[in-house]
Amino acid sequence: MRILYLLRKELIEIFRQREMLFIIFIAPVLQTIILGYVVTTDIRNVPVQIVNLSKSIDAYRIINRVESSSLFNVKKITRNPEDYVEVFKRGMVSSIIILRDGYDGERKVHQYPEIQILMDGIDSNVALIAAGYFNGITKKYIIDDVSRRGMPLPLESCALIRFNPNLKSINYMGPGIVALLLTIISMFLTSIGLVREKEQQTMDTLLISRLTPIEIYIGKALPMALLGLIEMGIGIAVVILVFGIPLRGNLLYLLIAAVIFLFAILSYALLISTFSSSQQQALFFGWFSMVTFLLLSGLFTPVENIPPAFRWLADINPLRYLIQIIREIFLKGNGIAYFGRELAIMGIITVLVLSFSLLNFKRFISK
Amino acid sequence: MKRIRAVVVKEFFHIIRDPKSLLIILVLPLLMIYIFGSALSFDVKKIETVVIDYASSKLSKDLVKVFANNPYYVLIPLDTAGGKGSAVARAEEMLRRGSIKQYLIIPGDFSVNLRKDRPTEVAAIIDGSDSNIANVVYQYNEMVFLDFLSRKQNLEEFLKISTKMYFNPEVKSSTFIIPGLVAVIMIMVSALLTSLSVAREKESGSIALLFISPLRSHEIIVGKTAPYVVVALLEGAIIMLVARFGFGIPIRGNLLILLLFSLVYIVSGLSLGITISTVASTQKLAMLATLLITLLPSILLSGFIFPLDSLDTVLRSFSYLVPATYFLMIIRGVVLKGAALRHFIPEGLILLGFSLLLINVASIKFSRKRQASR
Repeated sequence: MRILYLLRKELIEIFRQREMLFIIFIAPVLQTIILGYVVTTDIRNVPVQIVNLSKSIDAYRIINRVESSSLFNVKKITRNPEDYVEVFKRGMVSSIIILRDGYDGERKVHQYPEIQILMDGIDSNVALIAAGYFNGITKKYIIDDVSRRGMPLPLESCALIRFNPNLKSINYMGPGIVALLLTIISMFLTSIGLVREKEQQTMDTLLISRLTPIEIYIGKALPMALLGLIEMGIGIAVVILVFGIPLRGNLLYLLIAAVIFLFAILSYALLISTFSSSQQQALFFGWFSMVTFLLLSGLFTPVENIPPAFRWLADINPLRYLIQIIREIFLKGNGIAYFGRELAIMGIITVLVLSFSLLNFKRFISK
Repeated sequence: MKRIRAVVVKEFFHIIRDPKSLLIILVLPLLMIYIFGSALSFDVKKIETVVIDYASSKLSKDLVKVFANNPYYVLIPLDTAGGKGSAVARAEEMLRRGSIKQYLIIPGDFSVNLRKDRPTEVAAIIDGSDSNIANVVYQYNEMVFLDFLSRKQNLEEFLKISTKMYFNPEVKSSTFIIPGLVAVIMIMVSALLTSLSVAREKESGSIALLFISPLRSHEIIVGKTAPYVVVALLEGAIIMLVARFGFGIPIRGNLLILLLFSLVYIVSGLSLGITISTVASTQKLAMLATLLITLLPSILLSGFIFPLDSLDTVLRSFSYLVPATYFLMIIRGVVLKGAALRHFIPEGLILLGFSLLLINVASIKFSRKRQASR
């Protein structure tokens, strides 16, 4: 029961500063809302310049189709060639479409304009999708045109997108962002917790009190776990209510996953805290691990693209498992049978890191 | 000038006195660019696909062959483990488990219809839980279908499309990601560096000494920021070297121009840090605020991962508040496209404006606290 006193001390310490309340509870909600609207992997409005050197009606119609597509944002239509590299350097457009008439006047068949697509290839993702999409527009046009002339092309593909039919990225980014913010805040506050007492030399005061080292350790971790849980609840409520993300699975499983995740993150944070000798060092180590957890979580880029040499970093990353579980629960509505393995791995990570940090804590206080 | 130098010297001692922290500050970003440079990639290389071919004719097998020959697709046989249930139900289960990205259904009347020029449909059921991947899969599918069709109808001779990728002929995503990483790491490091400098003095009480010194507030702020320019610039140079020699990112532009812009960018990051440090009352608060302000916005709002052109105008205005947005344009332009100074004058000026504004806010805040302490 002595722990309760420590718990109270910790909470008072956190909330003594008004700004802390804002930073812990309001700032994440604001960030979730803003970032939630922003993170869109849907590619739209690719700025494009069209250089039309053709006089044919086909060129005109193809341009029309490009203009009416939401993927492209036609900035300029010109009729003269120019220095295209300079255009790219200026950075106003990221693709240039050049249409010109074919030179081969011999053939009897209908001539379609020759098309050249110049892409600013730096954003490879956008470049590939935009080029492919433009290819599609032109081919569709020619196919339509040909079938109008009496050569029908009957094959159509119909794509059915499961679990997220409108391909809204918020549906899988939203809960992910909550997890990110939770990682940042709880990891950070915990990682400087122990080292701060050390830096201010109040650790000795704690040690000569009747609390055992284990109790001090628990007393440091528990309030953060509580805060984290409350915050997770708020975050998920915001995501569901503000963004209308469907929750197809069981909320209880989500809660279980969140608790295990929280403990995993906290044990990493405690490990960092026992390793650092000043708040500044804890900050840098914490920052490093946060960015690692965040970028290798599969939220932004697929986990399977991580080369084998760094795969282990993704394997010990609790955020990666949580994100996978969140997607399964929210979008696929899967039951525990589908992600039981991930839950177990997170649990194992927690136990291992926690015991390691506990060992290190003993060394930390005896120093 | 002399008085500023005194603060600079004092701050330098702060840095040198703690060599372990300095080492951490220099080494961690190096690790970061190395790890993320190799681990982050958008490329969808393997689209695991199950094909359910009800037609099983020569034409439908041709279509399957087109998919099989495409290097992006990996055809996976239907799971026989959960033996019962129709083919579609089993494929659906694989989709749910995440072992495939899509399954295709070729209907039984596919070839008959196609041969008689009657309309027919092929269905692709795609896992949309990662919408980015789903989008790419969808685009690739369309390309394959159109290829199949145009080859079958000898459309190729009508169609003359050539595509040329400038600046990144192999279309690797690392060319996109690594310069972005440099920008994101630089702003975070520089903001974190100064974020503690004033707050630390507050916490230890030594701020009183600064308060009673004859120095003016802005001299103290500038003096406290200046030494970190060297540290941050060193940091920037190291990660740029890794980008160049570790990852083979070509530097096509002028190095001096890059240096000039980096300097402006670093100063804006440092001023952000010092402003937070002056406002915050403890180190803890300063650090947390810095993290929240720099970490996610620099990654998500700057165009580092998500293209800014795709944002709505209202949302896009948020990205203009993030310094990394401007430097990302600059570094990609100068490094990858070989752009000149004149291409990025507005961006450079905005960054400079940020710094001036923030330094002023910090000075004013500092002198207010000073007056309050009297």
